[in-house]
Amino acid sequence: MESLGNTLANLLTIAWLLPLFGFVVQILFALRWWGRKSKTAAYLAIFCIGAGFVCSSTAFYLWGEGTDWAVFKPSEHGHVEQADAGGADHATAGRDDPEHKITSHESEKQAVFAGPLYTLATFGNLHVSLDYYIDSLTLAMFVMVTLIATCIHIFATGYMAEELVDDYVDHQVHTHDGGHFHRPGRFYKFFSYMSLFCFAMLGLVLAGNIFQVFIFWELVGICSYLLIGFYVERHSASTAANKAFIVNRVGDFGFIIGLMILWTSFGTFSFADQHGTNGKVQPGLFSMARGHDGELTKTADGKTVVLKTEQDGHGHWEAPAEPSHQKTITYTLLIVAGLGVFGGCVGKSAQFPLQTWLPDAMEGPTPVSALVHSATMVAAGVYLAGRFYPMFVPEVLLTIAYVGCITAFVGATIAIVATDIKKVLAYSTISQLGYMMLGLGVGGWGAGLFHLITHACFKSLMFLCSGSVIAGCHHEQEMTKMGGLLRKMPITALTMLAGVIAIAGLAIPGTSIAFSGYHSKDAILATALAYTKLNPIHFLLFVVPLLTAGITSFYMFRLWFYTFLGKPRDQHLHEHVHESPWEMTGPLLLLAVLAAGCAIGGEDGRLFKMLTFSEPVGVGHGVDGAAAHTVSLPGHAAVHESHSTAGSAALLAAFIGMSISYLVYGKGVINPADIKRQAASVHAFLANKWGFDDLYDVMFVKPAHVVAKFAAAIDKFVFDEILHTFVRMGIAVSKWDRKFDEGVIDGIVNLMGNSTYSLGISLRNVQTGKIRQYVTFIAVSVVTLFVLLFALYPKG
Amino acid sequence: MFTAETLTSWIIFVPTIFAFFLVFFEKKAVEAMRVFALAGTVVTFFLSLALIGQFTAGDGGMQGLVKKEWIASWNINYQLGYDGISLTLVVLSAFVFLVSMLASWGIEKHVKGYLILFLILETGVMGVFFALDFFLFYVFWEVMLLPMYFLIGVWGGPRREYAAIKFFLYTLAGGVLMLIALLMYYFGSATPEAMAITGHSGGSFDLLKLAEMAQSGKIFSPGLQVAGFILLFIGFAIKVPTFPFHTWLPDAHVEAPTPISMILAGVLLKLGGYGIIRIAFPLCPYGAQVGAYALVAIGVISIIYGAFAALAQTDFKRMVAYSSVSHMGYVLLGIAVWKISEVTGAAEGRDYWLMGMNGAMFQMIAHGVSSPGMFFMVGVIYDRVHHRDLNQFGGLSGLMPNYSGMAAVIFFAGLGLPGLCGFIGEVFVVLSAWNYSKTLAIVSAGGVILTAGYILWALQRVYLGPVYKGPHPEAITPMTSREQAIGWLLIVPCLVLGVYPNFVFNYTNDSLTKLVETLDSGYQNTPKPNTVQTTQK
Repeated sequence: MESLGNTLANLLTIAWLLPLFGFVVQILFALRWWGRKSKTAAYLAIFCIGAGFVCSSTAFYLWGEGTDWAVFKPSEHGHVEQADAGGADHATAGRDDPEHKITSHESEKQAVFAGPLYTLATFGNLHVSLDYYIDSLTLAMFVMVTLIATCIHIFATGYMAEELVDDYVDHQVHTHDGGHFHRPGRFYKFFSYMSLFCFAMLGLVLAGNIFQVFIFWELVGICSYLLIGFYVERHSASTAANKAFIVNRVGDFGFIIGLMILWTSFGTFSFADQHGTNGKVQPGLFSMARGHDGELTKTADGKTVVLKTEQDGHGHWEAPAEPSHQKTITYTLLIVAGLGVFGGCVGKSAQFPLQTWLPDAMEGPTPVSALVHSATMVAAGVYLAGRFYPMFVPEVLLTIAYVGCITAFVGATIAIVATDIKKVLAYSTISQLGYMMLGLGVGGWGAGLFHLITHACFKSLMFLCSGSVIAGCHHEQEMTKMGGLLRKMPITALTMLAGVIAIAGLAIPGTSIAFSGYHSKDAILATALAYTKLNPIHFLLFVVPLLTAGITSFYMFRLWFYTFLGKPRDQHLHEHVHESPWEMTGPLLLLAVLAAGCAIGGEDGRLFKMLTFSEPVGVGHGVDGAAAHTVSLPGHAAVHESHSTAGSAALLAAFIGMSISYLVYGKGVINPADIKRQAASVHAFLANKWGFDDLYDVMFVKPAHVVAKFAAAIDKFVFDEILHTFVRMGIAVSKWDRKFDEGVIDGIVNLMGNSTYSLGISLRNVQTGKIRQYVTFIAVSVVTLFVLLFALYPKG
Repeated sequence: MFTAETLTSWIIFVPTIFAFFLVFFEKKAVEAMRVFALAGTVVTFFLSLALIGQFTAGDGGMQGLVKKEWIASWNINYQLGYDGISLTLVVLSAFVFLVSMLASWGIEKHVKGYLILFLILETGVMGVFFALDFFLFYVFWEVMLLPMYFLIGVWGGPRREYAAIKFFLYTLAGGVLMLIALLMYYFGSATPEAMAITGHSGGSFDLLKLAEMAQSGKIFSPGLQVAGFILLFIGFAIKVPTFPFHTWLPDAHVEAPTPISMILAGVLLKLGGYGIIRIAFPLCPYGAQVGAYALVAIGVISIIYGAFAALAQTDFKRMVAYSSVSHMGYVLLGIAVWKISEVTGAAEGRDYWLMGMNGAMFQMIAHGVSSPGMFFMVGVIYDRVHHRDLNQFGGLSGLMPNYSGMAAVIFFAGLGLPGLCGFIGEVFVVLSAWNYSKTLAIVSAGGVILTAGYILWALQRVYLGPVYKGPHPEAITPMTSREQAIGWLLIVPCLVLGVYPNFVFNYTNDSLTKLVETLDSGYQNTPKPNTVQTTQK
């Protein structure tokens, strides 16, 4: 099986690195080789990501063959266990009970492949490296990302075509003389950034350790920055880019804290077990925390978790019995670590309270919004929460659930009042990401990730449709100026309708015939219902998302009715509208098929099975938290029981939402302007995005600048002042010293000089020049010396 | 001809030899002098590369040892040697001097004097990195001071005299503190026990022997170690510089000409960190351990304080200068995360400390590339429009696309973006800090937000937007090919170090492993005043 692992790793590595190659060529040579007016850069980018899709699909096929397609086998026994010590991880192997795994061990084949790619550094026993970790989730993400990215790249060759000029006029930037801003087109640059993004995103998905995730986390962040700020001349764009990056860094602050805790307590970043240099297998994070049965090993008082660092005879990781061999982490710290990593997810996935950057990010070109800010990068937070699931304790999951719940609701309410077509979709994205988080938080591991994939399909579709509308309307984004576009742009309108039905979660009652969104949302709501049955106190976790499902249906149909039905609100605009060319409508059609059909079969369908094949151990049978005074998590059986109730409720909510929307915007029975007047304060509150931007400005941005000015002032008025005082003192001392010198020391010296001089004058009288007198002096002196000598010489 | 033993001396004195021959150049042969001086830095750089070739990997100890008697009556020797720590810094310095010399083409005033001082400065720097005799170290340390004083004071901006004197006073104060510590250790090592190690009577200036004595724990009393550490630390901290000794740096940077700023940020600041690793810690393990918390705290304060101060600046160059304060805070933090077990006194989680040390070394190298890069990028635009007011730029990405792209890469390296050099150092240091102190680790992690804030905000104001708002818009011309070459020379190592950090760790890890072990045993061997009291009770 080693060779299959290598093949998979090679294929995915190629898919991962090809866009990087594309980026380097485009950014360095595109302009020189092909010029501004060539589409070659785009073709290169499409080739790179398209080839990536082929590689990913091939890898998926090989993986399926290698595991005898156990993933799609209907029986509960069809799960696959990875080989021992294969560098793979026990915690994410399969979904049924562990005993079963051991008995059927011989017949099973490895389904999780992990291994090292590149060593960054080694310090003693600490290793920092780039690894790969391939399971069905990785493969699903690879196929999804490369496929959607390919569609969006193709769409963008049409959408960005107006950049293929030497003199691009930016109508949104005004120069001093009142004209529009002129600049050279940047077609190649757009595609180079897109390629860089694909590289970073695929690296994030392939990552085999949490540190590597962080590396690519930052890289997708900078790509997002570059793409949001693509129109660098627009102040709003560069500000939005800064905001996106800085708000994400706030989340990363939490991420780093999580990393620090894990690194210090566990001594590794790796998800999977690793072969050490000494030939021994080192447990990865999941093995250490959860072992083979998905349970934490706590000490008697429940405050400390003992890590599973020893292998028993079956190769299962167990906590050492001997206390001196034990490696421990306090339960609180494990909570903090989980919350920290989740903090990163909150930033990246625009969850409450860090959701404010995503609507502003719509400043970027629409294909960017489709790829980065709906389908892939913002979903990375959800992906990580799913990937890192075994490390989250129930308290963390509860936080995740509530954050997701609040986000879903807040996003949906703001979407009601937004009039910019892209902003509506942005808030809808926030809301849907909230759903995914909620799904994960209430124990629906598969449900949350299921929604991730379906959402990626229908939301990227809708963003591209909005892009097609915007291009058709000559860069008008306000829905208040649209209307009646159905006849002018039939393909766009109908594909958009497919997306709207999918996200609204409509289905034919009594059957399971529905578009993708219904299935995934249904799965989340069913889990939430099962969860609230176990933990009645958290009933809001079901009620609020159910309500939100209705709101979602309402505002999405509002968007569609507003844009495509009714009478044109701006006749001049309407006359110039045209359907987009084939390179834009083609991807729309493909994505519409995906949005409708990717989840066929619901939870018995292939996509859901594919994802849940990698479900962490222990999720399947739920957690009973009563003993530990914490929340309980529903198992698969409990979720299954809630399905029909939750499904009907969700469907009802969706139909109500759609009906109201039709009455207000489609049929015009009620005039929306009246409602707006009636509830002016509510409308203002929602239109102001619940006031988060103002609040953060007052709470964080302004204080930061004040503190900054304060710090600069301390330097100037305290430290420098101290130095200057010292210097002034020094100068004062020197002045005093000079006076002392001139007055006292010079005085003494002068005095001595003067007295010597006068002594000399007086001695001059002795110098007579008479020999006799000198001889007398000598004789007297000699006698005196002898007398002194005899008198003073020590006796004996 | 070039053995490891001779190469060290060649690297130190080749610049001086070139400086000597510069004297004989015709005053008007400006271009020839520049090329000649450039040749001097190139030769030095290649000699430093040759030294890498001589380096024996896997050996954490000193290599290429040279010991010649200098002032015998005082036991002063001309003693040189290098290990992974000095080697990486020497190569970095030779590189930065080379790039800065390329960036010196714009200097028109007293070119001969400038070039001579420039090369003498390089000699002083290299001498400090190679010296293993404390007295020799001190001499080279002071040799650096004067050329730098004149380079700022003569070739600087409008307030150059103020900045030069400020630089001079601070550095001199640091030097005096070092001198006191030097004498303390000289006389402290004149005991009979010390003779067993030195093998001669009288005190010693031999840094290796002094470190050995400190490790034995019997010769230097805890009091001496604490006092010595405080003196040495302040002496070196001024150079790093850390809060609160940093205020000379912004002034010196703002007034210094671009190439001198590059050297100041790229090389001279590293001497402070090097001094702490090479002298302050090994000579006073006990003092270092006692002061570890203060050091970590100072490092964290520098990170946050420097970042805040950078956020408030309106002068582009001053902002970059404060970013140095912030980035060098990581160095101090990484060096000092030495946690000990209260019971045994042995280091706890020594691998994390080793990681911190390595991270600190990497941060020095990374900052040594990215910070000169940032100063160079500021210099490029300053040379054209002659102002640095952040609020009076804008639109440069349209006017100078190549320049803006390069600047963005360099600034992203400063921001700590993965794949570029700034990331590894910062993140490794921060990750290692949790083991030492949870609170301080959390505060240090907050630096990532502030750093993103000030760098992105500056980028937005300078490079983005539709139009250039300041004076002399007509002077904005694309980068010259020389400037582009310098830009590439700085970008390539940023990328290489970011992608392949073992480029540094391969050399530093062995030496630092040895250092960490030595310090660990040194602290354990030193009798603790507290434990003596408790046993008496």
